[in-house]
Amino acid sequence: MMNTMILSWVTFLYFGAFVFYLFRLVFGKEFWGKAAFYAVLGGLGAHTLGLLLRWKESYALGIGHAPLSNFYESLIFFAWAVVMLYIVVEWRIKNRSLGVFVLPVGFLLMAFASLAPNISDRIQPLVPALQSNWLTSHVVTCFMGYAAFTVAFAIGIMFFLRNISLFRFIPEADVLDELIYQHAVLGFVFLTLGIMTGSVWAHYAWGSYWSWDPKETWSLITWLIYAVMLHARYVRGWKGRRMAVMAIVGFSAVLFTYLGVNYLPGLHSYLQS
Amino acid sequence: MPKQKNPFWSFFASVYLTITLLVLTVVLSIVGTFIPQQDAAREFAQGIPPGLASFLLTLQVFDLFHSVWFFLLMLLLSMNLIVCSLNRWPLTWKKFRGTPFANEEGLFRGLSPEHIFLCDEDVGTTTGRLEGLLSRKYGKISKNKEKEDALIIFGERGRYSRFAVYVVHLSLQLLILGALMGAYWGWEGYVNIGEGDTADAIDLKGGKGTKALPFTIRCDKFMVAFYENGAPKTYRSDLTFLKDGKTILQGPLLVNHPVSLEGIRVYQASYGSSPDGRASLAFSRGGKEGEIIKVGPGESFPLPGKEGTVQIVRLEENLMQMGPAVKILVRSGQGEVSFWVFRNIDKIREMNPGVTEQVPMFNPAMFKPYLFVLKGIEERYYTGLQVIRDPGAPLVAAAAVLMMVGLIGTFFSSHRRIWIKIQRLGEKTKISVAARTNKHPVILDREVQHLTEQIKVSLEKGST
Repeated sequence: MMNTMILSWVTFLYFGAFVFYLFRLVFGKEFWGKAAFYAVLGGLGAHTLGLLLRWKESYALGIGHAPLSNFYESLIFFAWAVVMLYIVVEWRIKNRSLGVFVLPVGFLLMAFASLAPNISDRIQPLVPALQSNWLTSHVVTCFMGYAAFTVAFAIGIMFFLRNISLFRFIPEADVLDELIYQHAVLGFVFLTLGIMTGSVWAHYAWGSYWSWDPKETWSLITWLIYAVMLHARYVRGWKGRRMAVMAIVGFSAVLFTYLGVNYLPGLHSYLQS
Repeated sequence: MPKQKNPFWSFFASVYLTITLLVLTVVLSIVGTFIPQQDAAREFAQGIPPGLASFLLTLQVFDLFHSVWFFLLMLLLSMNLIVCSLNRWPLTWKKFRGTPFANEEGLFRGLSPEHIFLCDEDVGTTTGRLEGLLSRKYGKISKNKEKEDALIIFGERGRYSRFAVYVVHLSLQLLILGALMGAYWGWEGYVNIGEGDTADAIDLKGGKGTKALPFTIRCDKFMVAFYENGAPKTYRSDLTFLKDGKTILQGPLLVNHPVSLEGIRVYQASYGSSPDGRASLAFSRGGKEGEIIKVGPGESFPLPGKEGTVQIVRLEENLMQMGPAVKILVRSGQGEVSFWVFRNIDKIREMNPGVTEQVPMFNPAMFKPYLFVLKGIEERYYTGLQVIRDPGAPLVAAAAVLMMVGLIGTFFSSHRRIWIKIQRLGEKTKISVAARTNKHPVILDREVQHLTEQIKVSLEKGST
C-alpha cells in the first residue's frame, strides 16, 4: 500500500531532522538548523499526504473511515500531532533547540509503527463499537493532548540538560519554565476534552460514561498528575526545576495510559490487534 | 473572621490537603488497575492464600472504585473544595467589584523606562489621543482627575475570568454529585431475549436479583453481519416495546445507538443462538413413508397410529461430539420410553459399529414400529440487551460543559487592568503606563509591550 510506504519514509526524514538539529546544537552553525527545519517540514508534508492517502484508500476498499482506528493509525497520528505542534513552537519562540528533544519522539513513534512485528498496518474495517461519530473527536483530542504533553516533557528534559557546555542556543530557564507551563495547560485542556468525548462515546456504546476500565482509570491518573502540577504552580508558585520534574512524571503517566495499559485487560483491549 | 481560627476549617482550607488528596486518589487508582477488580477479582482471589484473600476482601480492595476508601476520598476532596472556595470568595468578590482608582499599592512606582514617555502636547490632547488608543482594545474607559494637571485613564479586560476557577470547582462538585446519584438511584442489568420472545424483567449486574421493567420488550428479529475478513460489521435487534399490550415504540437497536424510553436506556450488548430452537423430526411407521413435524422443547404430538404421544425432552446442538440430537419421550399404554434421535445416525453407526445395539438409548427405532430421524435443529438467535437507568447522567453532562467553560476561562483568560497616568511635568507631558493581572503575567507583558509601541508610534505621528 502506497500510504504505508510513504509513512515509513517519513521515519527517515524525522531521523535526519533530529541529526541536523543535533549538529546545530553542537557545532553552533545555523545552516544545520535550516537543513533540519526543511527536513521536518518535508517530513510533515509527506506525513500529512500519507494520512490523507490512507483515508482515501480506506474508501477505495469500501470500508471508509478516518485513519484513527487501530494501534498503527494511532501511532502515526500521535507522531503527526507531535511534529505539527513542534513546528508551531519553533515558529513561535524562534528557537530551534527544542527539535533535538522532540524529534526523537516523533521518529521513535514512526519507527515503532513501521517496524514492530505485532502491529498490523492494514486498513481494517470498523467493528460495531467503533462505528461512532465520536471516534474521530475522541482520538484527535486525546492525541493533541498527548502531543502537548510530549512537547512539555521534551522541554523538561531540555531544562535539565541546558547547562551542558556542549549544547548551545538553549533558551533561558524562565523561557523554558513558561513553555513547560503553556504546554502542560494545552495538554490538560485537550486531555479533559479527550476524556469527555470518550465518556460521551462510552455512554452511547457501552451504557456508561465511566466504567473504571484500566485505560479510563489511567487517563484520570494522568489528568490528576497534571492537575497537581498546575495547582502547585498557581497556589504554591512552583517553577523551573519542579515543573520540569512534573512534566517528566506526567509524560510517563501518558505513556502508561497509551501503551502500558494495553497489557491490562479492558474495554480498550482491541488496540492489541 | 473567627472561622479562620477553627481547626476544622483551617484543615479543610489547606491546599496541601488538596494536593495530598489528589495524590492519594492517584495511588488508589493505580492500585485499582493492577489488582483485578469486581468480576476479574474472583479468579484472582482463588489464586492467593485464602487468609490474604479474605483480608483484601474486607478492605474492599477488589472493588476499590466503589469502596468506602474511595468514597471517603471524594467526600474529603469535595469538602476541601467547598471550604477553599468559600475562603477565597470574599477576596475574589472584592477584586471583582473593586473600583479602578482605589489606589493599587505602588502602582506607578519603579516603572521601567519603556513604560514612561514624554511629549510636547498638552495634557488634554494627550489624554484624548490615549483614550482613543486604549478604548480600541479595552472598550469602555474610565477617567479620574487627580489634580489640576494630572489624571489617570483606566481600561480592563477579562474581569469575569476571576470566577472561572470557581466554575471549574463547582463543576467537579456537580460531577461527584451526579456520580453519587447514579450509584444510589441508578441500576444496570442484562436480559437475553430469543427471537419472538418477550421480557419484562432483567437480571441486575453483580447478581443483585431481578428488576421488573415498566414496559415489555419483544425481540422480533436479531441479525449479525460480518465483513469479508470475518470481523463483525453489524449487530442489530428489531425490538418492539409494549405497555399494557400496546406498542409504544418499535425499531432497530444497534451498537452505539441505544434506545431511550421512560428514563431507561436499552443497549445492544451481546447475542447468541439459543438451545431452544425447534427440531425437525421425521418419523415413519413400519417402513412406510412418514411425515416431518416441527416441535420445540417441551412440546408433544400424538403418533398417527394412536399408540401414544411423543414429547421433546432435550435439544442438543452437539451431543458428545456426535452432532445435533434430540431426546424424546414416548408415552404409551406400555409406559414411558425415552431415547436420543441423532441427525447423523448413519455416520455414527459407520464409525461405531453396533452402537445402537449396545446403547439402546441411541437407537432411533426403540419404539416399534416407529423409526425417528432428526432432520435438523433450527437455529434461533437471542439478543443480549443491557438495560440501564442513570438519573445522574444529565448532571454529569452539565458538569462537563461547565468544566470546559471554566477551564477555558481559567487558562486562557485573565483580569488585565491598565492605568495610564498623564501629568504636566514642566514644559512636557509625562505619560506613565502601569498594569496588573491576576494571572498569566507573560500575556500581560505582551499586551503592555504592544500598547507602549502603539503609544510611541502615535506620539511620533502626532508631533510631526
